[in-house]
Amino acid sequence: MSDDKVEELAQLERTWARPTGWRYWSDVNNSTVGLWYIATAFAFMLFAGALALIIRLQLAVPENNLVSAETYNQVFTLHGTVMMFLFAVPIFEAVAILILPAMLGARDLPFPRLSAFGFWCFLIGGVFVSSSIFFGQAPDAGWFMYPPLSTEQSGIGADVWLLGLTFIEVASIAAAVELIVGVLKCRAPGMHINLTPLYGWYVLIVGAMILFAFPPLIAGDLLFELERLLDWPFFDVTRGGDPILWQHLFWIFGHPEVYIIFLPAIALLAMIVPTFAQRPIAGYSWIVLSALGTGFLSFGLWVHHMFTTGLPSISLGFFSAASEAVAIPTGIQIFAFIATVMLGTVIRSVPMLYCLGALAIFIVGGLTGVMVAVAPFDFQAHDTYVIVAHLHYVLIGGMLFPVMAGVQYYYPFAMGKTLSRNLGIWSFWLMFFGFNVAFLPMHLTGLLGMPRRVFTYGADMGWSWLNLVSTIGAFVFAAGFLVFAWDCVRPKRQQPYVKRNVWNAGTLEWASPVPAPSYGMRSVPTIGSRYPLWDDKDLLPTLDEGRGLLADAREGKRETLVTSVLDARPIQVLRVGAPTWLPMIAAVGLGALFIFSTYKLWWPTAAGGVVFLVAVLRWLWTGAAVIPEKETKDAGGGLELPLYVSGVRSTGWWAMFITMTGDLTAFLSLIFGYFFFWTVHPEFPPIGIDGPGWVWPMVSAAFALGAWGATVAARELNAADRVPLARLALVGGLVSAVLSGAALVAGPVTTGLDPTTNSYPAIVWALVVWIVLHLATGMLMQGYCLARSIYGKMTPRYDADIRNVALYWHFMGFSALLTSLVIGGFPLLA
Amino acid sequence: MVLPAVGASLLLAGCTFEQSALHPAGRDAQELSGLTWFMFAGAVVVWAIVMGVTVYAVLGRKRRRTERFADLFILGGGVAFPTVGLAILLVYGLSLLPNWTSAQAPGLRVHVQAEQYWWRFAYELPDGSRVETANELHLPNDVTAEFVLTSTDVIHSFWIPALGGKMDLIPGRTNLLRLTPTKAGTYRGVCAEFCGPSHTFMAFPVVVHDADGYASWLAAEQAPATSGSELFAASGCAACHTIRGVAETGKVGPDLTHFGRRSTIGAATLVNTRENLLAWLADPQRIKPGAAMPGFASLPETDRAAIADYLMGLK
Amino acid sequence: MTGQIEQEVKRETGTGTDLWRVIVSPIVWAVHFLFCYVYGAVYCAKAGRDASLAGPTVIIIGATVVALVLIGLSTLHLWKVRGRSLTDDDFEYEHNTPEERHRFLSHVALMLCVLSAVAVLYVAIPMLYLTSCR
Repeated sequence: MSDDKVEELAQLERTWARPTGWRYWSDVNNSTVGLWYIATAFAFMLFAGALALIIRLQLAVPENNLVSAETYNQVFTLHGTVMMFLFAVPIFEAVAILILPAMLGARDLPFPRLSAFGFWCFLIGGVFVSSSIFFGQAPDAGWFMYPPLSTEQSGIGADVWLLGLTFIEVASIAAAVELIVGVLKCRAPGMHINLTPLYGWYVLIVGAMILFAFPPLIAGDLLFELERLLDWPFFDVTRGGDPILWQHLFWIFGHPEVYIIFLPAIALLAMIVPTFAQRPIAGYSWIVLSALGTGFLSFGLWVHHMFTTGLPSISLGFFSAASEAVAIPTGIQIFAFIATVMLGTVIRSVPMLYCLGALAIFIVGGLTGVMVAVAPFDFQAHDTYVIVAHLHYVLIGGMLFPVMAGVQYYYPFAMGKTLSRNLGIWSFWLMFFGFNVAFLPMHLTGLLGMPRRVFTYGADMGWSWLNLVSTIGAFVFAAGFLVFAWDCVRPKRQQPYVKRNVWNAGTLEWASPVPAPSYGMRSVPTIGSRYPLWDDKDLLPTLDEGRGLLADAREGKRETLVTSVLDARPIQVLRVGAPTWLPMIAAVGLGALFIFSTYKLWWPTAAGGVVFLVAVLRWLWTGAAVIPEKETKDAGGGLELPLYVSGVRSTGWWAMFITMTGDLTAFLSLIFGYFFFWTVHPEFPPIGIDGPGWVWPMVSAAFALGAWGATVAARELNAADRVPLARLALVGGLVSAVLSGAALVAGPVTTGLDPTTNSYPAIVWALVVWIVLHLATGMLMQGYCLARSIYGKMTPRYDADIRNVALYWHFMGFSALLTSLVIGGFPLLA
Repeated sequence: MVLPAVGASLLLAGCTFEQSALHPAGRDAQELSGLTWFMFAGAVVVWAIVMGVTVYAVLGRKRRRTERFADLFILGGGVAFPTVGLAILLVYGLSLLPNWTSAQAPGLRVHVQAEQYWWRFAYELPDGSRVETANELHLPNDVTAEFVLTSTDVIHSFWIPALGGKMDLIPGRTNLLRLTPTKAGTYRGVCAEFCGPSHTFMAFPVVVHDADGYASWLAAEQAPATSGSELFAASGCAACHTIRGVAETGKVGPDLTHFGRRSTIGAATLVNTRENLLAWLADPQRIKPGAAMPGFASLPETDRAAIADYLMGLK
Repeated sequence: MTGQIEQEVKRETGTGTDLWRVIVSPIVWAVHFLFCYVYGAVYCAKAGRDASLAGPTVIIIGATVVALVLIGLSTLHLWKVRGRSLTDDDFEYEHNTPEERHRFLSHVALMLCVLSAVAVLYVAIPMLYLTSCR
């Protein structure tokens, strides 16, 4: 190796070195955070699994009194909540953060600090929610928390559920932003969209789904907490509320969520199956289209959780139809995997065994899903053990087994060692057998009339034997999982490192040496096929000799390549964040805000908010859109790439766009709430409640448009080198935003709308509060730009900040305008 | 699914299956159990074929197959087959959706109000007046009954598996459900939507009579109670419970006019025996957590016994 | 440098089938579905549960025809771009050319058209039976 190359390697090692000692916890690199994330998600899974065993013990024999009804209710609520929110969804984010950059040929994700922030949010929120049961304060109204039981009769557990989960939803959206931008903009050069590993496609689709699925729940959570905290009657029928609104908002989230869980897991199969069939996947484009189709159709299913609420048959029919249609793309994916196996020569291995087990279980869940999607059958099956069986077949076959296949498969990638083949086979058969013994009988138990969520049952009901069998199966299942867990954590010091690309896989993540260096690949290769390790024999030498792109870290900065969306042409060298405590501090601040507000401790709540705000501002000020010391950098091979881009070509702009798309969805969910109340009430607005009138809302809209216009003007003026005028525009925008907020509040105040009296003033106020909070955020951003400009961190050439803020204001202006039109204009029409 | 079902049925031969969707005694339940078996059979066949093909693909001898084959395999198995199969299922399944109007009058209307954790039943008579009872439903065979479903507190769900599908009772809404029993006998209904600590103890016996049996039951139920009790009023029972002809002010709890005729206590929580009733009066919370009824352990034991005897005598 | 990048971006998105083009047909499905559901739900909420579905049936079938026509137009366009069958054929080509990318995206878009059309038709099935808002 030449001296140059030795020096380059040293630079890379220095720049990407993992912090040591206690500073280890300040790391933000995807390979570290991904491991934390996975370990934490599995820890929560073990906890929720233990809760499941309590459930099964209680139900083992009739008229059992191992736990009281109150405890049982907390146990099953927490079991569902933790499995769904603290394992099934986060494990997707966790695995993706760990493996995606290597798979795409990136050194890291575009916003490593955001990943770290998401992780800390997840950890703090998860511990908060889980630990509540040790104080007897766990949520106890079921994991979907139907009001009025949850709003009017639950103790603090409901708040724990609500605030803890809202906090974790923040982490999910952070991950979605990170992963979408990662897949679209951080692929290795030449990795055209049709060469992207299928895992990347799935991550992209699931990320987009999160943006449209989680926000309705966040909106629902907001309404829920406003009712619990301030007595705004969104779900209280005595004051014009309606509990069904919650069910809509919850399930608009809840059904896509099933696919948000399922698709990334099946994506792991799409990586594993070709490796062990030793051939490219058959029907690549079939899989992409069915993943896309599933993503869309999954949003047309939510009412199938509400088939027995008395909705008109016509609504049930539409949702039955869509629920059946979604089975088609799911089937396509399964058939593509089988076709791949048919065409290849299967290597028998533990990951493949788990894949087959996943298929056998998931197909049962899919078929019962097709059954319960037929509304009349669901009239019988709904809320019984048929559903318990169905959902476990779907989630364990569609998520747990694939994820375990993934762990078996990627363990050498992450750890450099393999898991034991014997233990793997043992754990598989114990789990597969135990699972079916536990859950297959439940189909029958349910049809014999056993409702879900009963803490005991009579000996004469005919369910005793079935339940005992289920309990035995559950323990065998648990034993199998413990074997797996032991295999993962048992000391492996004596065990030698595996050879590079141990499975002889074709995708890029296996190109890394073992053990994997912290900087990932020695240099970034140019890709020309879907399975570069199979098709390009020169790839590894090119990589290792540093003949690829970005082979150095001369400036001591962490860098990764940004490429174009479709054909992955290099367009920028992106500097990504180095280790820092700021994400953790910000998460602690936000966690304090949510946790203390649960207990109505307002001073600590406010302190948490301040810590969060300061940490985030400092993080952005020092780490985002930093002006580089030179215009361009030689990425290797004479390719000069800019170090700073702004606007639509920058990753930051996309992050803002994606975040605001999610935010807009939440806002539209509130608007949906407004019109929902209109449909359920013959008179809406209710007779005798006038307000907020149309004048103040229109004044507010005018000022909001003014603030919007001023921000856009500031962007243009700044770009035109008229910096003082740009600053003036920003000040004008700030003033206009304040006036807009004040006018918006003036409407309901001057007309005496009291949000506690009826759902109508409550929803109007909810919209007003939403917009005012967003105006405040928008003002913060305007102020930030002003400060950046004054301190010389934002200039006409380096203007990413104002471009991103202007983008925020596009959404802000639209939301404010729509709110004014709805609350001011709709009462005139209705 | 069929084999385990048969096997389990043998194992469970002693049980009555009063709450089973697989032992239908009503028109809807009959149709739905037909749909159930149809779908289960189809599911077993599909599962066996797909897994058979998968296992064959993994273990079977390799023949040279072209990629064109894979393409057609996906097109046929993943697109064509499910599209046709699911369309057939939808056309069959959705034909069972409720599709009636009030113009088709039911033979009987029962107002059902769910409360934590019991059922208030009011039979609507032809003249529009109502006969109120609780926690035990009696229906005439072969007559379509319409249930008017409401709730005062949280969401419950009204489910008699042997007669047909369930329907939620939601505060602020009125849902209608029609069921037609086709076989006389005793069944069991239950709350299917989780409603709090004693969700488990919110059931009710359902007795389907022939026409004469129903008429005589209704006539007896309509009649006021024949005897009164000083103690019932003095101990505070009457504050919540109505016994028609004796104490008619208490509206909070279940009507007890013909309590002695019912087969259960506390919404099918306990069998209606004197011993159970004594235990219930002393401490209902222990038996049914979260129940609204206070315990009367403070009453002298003799008083409780007297009240129990009185209630048991309300035939 | 910047000019060159912009050219490239234009070249990628301006021709044939891009990512947006791919999701046209599922968006048509989504709009059709939401329209049917919202229209049916609001109609039944405001007209009462005994209301006849005669009017909505006509409107929903009309909407279904419109949706199918839109999907059909998209299919036709894609068919022309691709000029090929419904199968993948992806194995016959080198993958790292822009032409292949177009072919890939067209196939995805084409099959999504088929899937969306099936889903749209499914949604119309309930209208075969239902006559009232019950």
